Amino acid sequence: MSEESSGALANNAPPASPRTTVIEASQLSRSFGETKAAQDVSFEVCRGEILGFLGPNGAGKSTTLRMITGLLAADRGSAKICGIDVATHPIEAKKKFGYLPESIPLYEEMEVIDYLRFIGSARGIAKAVLEKSIDRIAMRLGLVSMLRRRCGTLSKGFRQRVGLAQALIHDPEVVILDEPTNGLDPRQIIEVRSLIRELATDCAVIFSTHILQEIAAICTRIIVIHSGHLIADGTPDELAGDSSEDWQVVTSGSGVDPEQCPGLQLAPGVEGSTGETVHRWLGESAPDLGDLSIQIYRSGSRLLHVGRSRETLEQVYLRLTGGERVQA
Amino acid sequence: MKDILIVARRECGAYFQTPIAWIFIALQIAILSFFFFLYSPFFIIESADMRVWFGLMPFTLMVFAPAVTMRLWSEELRTGSTEVLLSLPVKVVNLVIGKWLASVVVLLASVICSLGIPATISYLAASPIDWGPIIGGYIGTVLAGMMFLALGCWVSALSRNQVVSLLVGVTAGIVLVLALSPDFASFISGTNETLARIVESLGVQSHFRSIERGVLAISDVVYFLSGSCFFLALTVFQVELKKQ
Repeated sequence: MSEESSGALANNAPPASPRTTVIEASQLSRSFGETKAAQDVSFEVCRGEILGFLGPNGAGKSTTLRMITGLLAADRGSAKICGIDVATHPIEAKKKFGYLPESIPLYEEMEVIDYLRFIGSARGIAKAVLEKSIDRIAMRLGLVSMLRRRCGTLSKGFRQRVGLAQALIHDPEVVILDEPTNGLDPRQIIEVRSLIRELATDCAVIFSTHILQEIAAICTRIIVIHSGHLIADGTPDELAGDSSEDWQVVTSGSGVDPEQCPGLQLAPGVEGSTGETVHRWLGESAPDLGDLSIQIYRSGSRLLHVGRSRETLEQVYLRLTGGERVQA
Repeated sequence: MKDILIVARRECGAYFQTPIAWIFIALQIAILSFFFFLYSPFFIIESADMRVWFGLMPFTLMVFAPAVTMRLWSEELRTGSTEVLLSLPVKVVNLVIGKWLASVVVLLASVICSLGIPATISYLAASPIDWGPIIGGYIGTVLAGMMFLALGCWVSALSRNQVVSLLVGVTAGIVLVLALSPDFASFISGTNETLARIVESLGVQSHFRSIERGVLAISDVVYFLSGSCFFLALTVFQVELKKQ
């Protein structure tokens, strides 16, 4: 593997605009013996996106992330970060991203400030700028009072923040986080989610998780990986929207009694908690909105919404992955 | 070069901010002093030299060098901090050299701490002592130590268990010092002269003995330096292999 420094490469790379593609994974494949951990995984991530990597244990999420970061060589395919190939120009590519591994490994004997100095220096931040960068990131992550503490004495929440600080200290264009809220208390989870949203204004964030609430709360896009294959790629709305062919008719109040309106082709309604009733449309083609609206009005109710039925994210996930359970 | 110094400084901090380095230095000097002053004919023959001290050096290095280096990679592999380390824009070769350099600093600190011994001998000696063999002995100690530390680095990258790294490192050291010794070479020279020459040239003792006598032959210096480079190259290969 060539690791030659190619300063020209970075200089020639086009400046990132808000919708610039910053991660390009193309047909990434990796096997461990007979086990195919990732097969032809391809996707792109633009600046400003928060991409959630979802999948059951052993699906290939970490393998794919590790290939993108250059920590694992791909058998086939390529990964580019800001247009720089991770396999052929790893040093230049590594300057562009920050990475937080799942286990948050810190050097226990080091003080937080020394750890951040080490990471910052190794990332090439000039000494004069480094102290300002540490102050800035410590303020942002609430680490100011912890800078003189040894890493080994920190609580799980602060360890996570130090891990995030080392990933962000050089203002990367891509942030790769492996299970960033694992083990945090609810308040810390909310803080980390808020931070990730903030980050996405300047860079692309890609993170893996098992927690569907996390995905629903912050992701602008979701990739589902199962048995090494990328099986879904889209926004949460797109994934839920594509999930069913069934039409739903939402009416006000207790809805319509189908037995009294046989021409309506509506199944008996299910009352929702907001004083609405959801009916399934039994017709073969899409309902005619004019007729539907008039007949529902005549039956004493009002038409509120007509659309494809939507599954919850958990239902989508279970359908895509063949029913494997996740933490919701 | 800057990356190497950054990594070396961090590793030095890990050695000297914890008791590891100090324990290593104290134990090495204590054990060497014990054998030198109490179990050698130092006081009997009233000889103002340090040949026994340096004669023991390969044997102490083969144990203490793996003890110093066992944490260098094994600890990183165990905690998973290699994930962060290898995601930094630093070449693997610079990481390896930086870590090894820190262990060499521990060795140099040990050498400096032991300088009180020749100073005392010089002070007590009735006539001026011969500094040539002593200086040669210290140069040999540093050169041989660098090779043993490089060997320890490589062994440390093989396993995430520090005890395994220590045991494999000591075993490899025993091979270099005892199995490939001049005594063993003379034992087999009757049956296979060529093999005996190879064994002697690969062993540490034959090269260390001439330096210890105050003879700094280029071939001996090349042996220790190339040995260091060989084991460091193996370490780089082993760390790169983690990506495969």
